[in-house]
Amino acid sequence: MKLEKGSISGRALIFAVFCFMQGTMLRSAFIVVVTKNDSWAMAFTGLLGSLLLTAIYAALLRRFQEKNLFEINELVFGPVVGKVFSVLYLFFFLSLAALNTHDIGDFVVGYMMQETPLAAIILLFVLICVYAVRKGIANIVRLSTVLCIIAMSAVLINTVLMLNEIQPGFIKPLFQLPLGKYVQGTITVAALPMGEVLAFTMIAPMLGKNKKAGKMMAYGLVLAAVFLGIVLLRDILVLGPMAGVFRLPSYESVRYVKLAGILTRMESLYAVVLIILYVFKVSILLYACVLGLAQLVNFKSYQPLTLICGALVFFYSLFVYKSVMEHADWGATVAPIFSLTFELVLPSAALVAVSIKKTIRLRET
Amino acid sequence: MKKNASKAPAGKTKQECPGALNPVRRAVAALLCALMILSLSSCWSRRELNTLAIVLATAVDEGKESGELKVTTQIVSPGEIKSGPSSSGSSASKKAYANIDNTDKSVISALDGFTHITNRKMYFSHNRILIFSREVAQKGILEDLDAFTRNYETRMNVYLLISKDKAADILDEEIELEQMPANHIAEMLEAQHSNSETAIITLLDFDIAFLSGSTAPVAPMIEMYEIDGKKKARLEGTAVFKQGKMIGELNVAQTRGLMWATGKAERATITIDTKDGKVDLLIIHAKGSMKPVKAEDGTFRIRLKVYAEGDIESNETGKDMSSVENTEMLQEQVEEFIRAEIESTLKHAKTLSADVFGFGEAIRRDYPKDWEKIKENWDSEFSGLKTDMEIDVKIASSGEMGKPVVQGGAE
Repeated sequence: MKLEKGSISGRALIFAVFCFMQGTMLRSAFIVVVTKNDSWAMAFTGLLGSLLLTAIYAALLRRFQEKNLFEINELVFGPVVGKVFSVLYLFFFLSLAALNTHDIGDFVVGYMMQETPLAAIILLFVLICVYAVRKGIANIVRLSTVLCIIAMSAVLINTVLMLNEIQPGFIKPLFQLPLGKYVQGTITVAALPMGEVLAFTMIAPMLGKNKKAGKMMAYGLVLAAVFLGIVLLRDILVLGPMAGVFRLPSYESVRYVKLAGILTRMESLYAVVLIILYVFKVSILLYACVLGLAQLVNFKSYQPLTLICGALVFFYSLFVYKSVMEHADWGATVAPIFSLTFELVLPSAALVAVSIKKTIRLRET
Repeated sequence: MKKNASKAPAGKTKQECPGALNPVRRAVAALLCALMILSLSSCWSRRELNTLAIVLATAVDEGKESGELKVTTQIVSPGEIKSGPSSSGSSASKKAYANIDNTDKSVISALDGFTHITNRKMYFSHNRILIFSREVAQKGILEDLDAFTRNYETRMNVYLLISKDKAADILDEEIELEQMPANHIAEMLEAQHSNSETAIITLLDFDIAFLSGSTAPVAPMIEMYEIDGKKKARLEGTAVFKQGKMIGELNVAQTRGLMWATGKAERATITIDTKDGKVDLLIIHAKGSMKPVKAEDGTFRIRLKVYAEGDIESNETGKDMSSVENTEMLQEQVEEFIRAEIESTLKHAKTLSADVFGFGEAIRRDYPKDWEKIKENWDSEFSGLKTDMEIDVKIASSGEMGKPVVQGGAE
C-alpha cells in the first residue's frame, strides 16, 4: 500500500529543507532576545544540535527502506503502541502547521492589514496550502529550487543594500553573556526551526533511496544555517541593541534600507518572499499530517483528508494564541521543550527499540 | 472496493481529456475565481490615495496647560504641487501643504484628536522629520518617541530635530526653492555631510544611543531667523540628552569636534589664519576612530585617531602656499584646529557629564569585564577620563593652481 505518488530528486530535497527553514527568519526575535549580539553564532551551534537530531532520523530511515515515520512506528512498536506514537506525531505536525499559519497571519495583520480579521487571511492561506497538497507534494518539493533562488537572492540583495548602514562595532563584545543563555539559544535554534526537519521523514521515501535522505537533510540544514547566520548578523550590525527590542528584527532592518533616495521601502518585496516561504512550509507540514492520518485510519488515498486537515489547521491556528505577547513568551520558554519531546525523545525511543530488537534477534540466531 | 470503482473512471476521464471539467468542478472553479477577485481587491479596509493625509513632518510642542502636548503635522496637499520652481504668478496661489495641530495629554491622544478636525486619515509612512521643541525635550522625549517607534506605519529612518523655540513654527518656514518645509529640512539635513557641522540623527540612532546606557544621545537643533521679513529655519548646534531629557547643547564648532571624534565627519571647510592672511582648506575625506587603552593600573585612556585629507580651496595670502614648507605648516595648523575643536567638545561634555562620544560603549565593547566594574560610576570616570589624540592631516593638492595670481607673479 503506497499512498505517496511521484518521486523527488536529492537536490530538490536539499532546497526544500532550505526553504522550509528560511521562513523561520520571521521568528528570529526568539533568538535575539536571548543571546543579543551573539545570536548569529547560534545559527551554527544550533546547526550542530539539529545535525544530531537529523542523524537519529537518518538512522531510522536507513533501517527501514522506503518507509516513512508513521510506518516505521508501526514496524518498531507493533500496531497498537505504534499507533499511539503516530497519534502523538500527528498532534505535533498539526500544531506546527497551526503555529506557523498563525505566525504568517499575525505578520500580515500586524504589519500590512491591521483591520482585516485574522481568520480571513488564514482561511485564504490554508486554502492555498490545501490546494497545493491535493495537487501532490512532489510538485511543491520540485518547486523548491525556484523558491530557494528567490529566497537566497532576496536575502543577499537586501544585505548588499544594507552594507551602507552596517556598524561593525555592534558585534562587540563577543560572548560575554552567561553560558546558560548560549545553551538556551542553541536549543531554541536547534529545536524550533531546524528540528522541524522531522516533517521531511514523511517525504523522504519519495527519494526512492532512504539512505540518501539523511545526507540531503543535513546539506539543506547547513545551507539554511549559513543564511540564518547572515540574516542574524546583518540585523545585529544594522540595528545594534534595537535588534532585541523589535518584534521582527529582519523586517525592521529591511525597512531601514535607503539607498540614494530611490531604493527605499523594500520591505514589501521581503514580505512577499516570506509569505511564499510560509506557504511552502505549511504545505509540507499539512502533507505530513494528511499522509499520517491516512495511514493511521488505513485509507487508500490521502486526498479526501486534505480539506479536513486544512480545516483543522484553520481552526486550531485561530485559537492557538491569544496574543502576540503570549506567543513570544511561549517561543522563548516552553516551545523548545515541547518541540524536543517530539523531535528528540520519541525518535530516540524508536531507535533504541530497533537496536534492542536487533540484538535480541541476533542472539536468537 | 467501492472506493476504487469510483476512483477509476475519474482518472480515466482525466487522461482522455485533461482540459474538460464537469459542471460541478466548473462551478467550484468559478466560485474560487470570484473569491480570489474579491480578496485580491483587498477592499476590507482600503485606503485610497485621495482619502489619506500624507504626513511629511511632525512637530511636538508644549500645550497651553502643563502636561499637555501640541502636535502639529504637515500634510501634503497634492493638488497644489507644481512641477518646476514657482513662477512669479504662483505667489498668490495656495501652499502645497497644510499644517494641522491638536493639543491633548499625549502624542497618540493628540493624533487621535485629528479625526475630529480633518476628514482624512493620517498616514505616517512618509513622515520624514520629527521635531520636538526644547521645552518638551527638557522634560523628556522618550515617552513620546515610544509611540513613533512602536507604530507599524512609522519608520526608523525619520530624522530627529530639536527646535530652539516653537517646533510648529519650523513647519511654517517661508521657503523659496522647495514647496514643502518638511522636504526642505530633510534634504538640508542630508546635505550636512558637506560641512560636518550637524549631527544627522535618525530615530534608530537615537534609540540605539539611549539603549547603550552610558552614551548620551544627541540630536541636531534647528532655529528660526528672520531675513528680509521672511522667517526661515536654520540648523544650528546639537542638543545633548541624558536619561531621555535634554540637558545641554553643543555649539557648531563643538558639534564638528564630536563628528571628528566619532568618525562621522566627511567633508569640511576650515579657515586657517596664517601670519600672511587667510587660507581655506577643503577636507574631502575624513576618518576617525576611538580605541580604549587599558593602563597597567586598570585605568582607561581613550586614543582618538583622526585622519583628514584635503585640498587648498582658496589662498588669500598672496604667498605661494604650495611650497613644501608652507604645506607642512598648513597641515600642522589644520591638525591644531581639529584638535582644538575636539578638545572644546570634550571639555563641554565633561561639564555636562554627558558621554556624547560613546567612550563608555567603546570600553564595554573591548573590555566587557572591566566595564562591569566601572559602569556604576561612569559619570565620575568620564569627567576624569584622559584622551590621547593622534591627528593626521594630509594636504593632497593645491587646487587648479599652484602659486596664487599676484601682480607681477609672472616674472
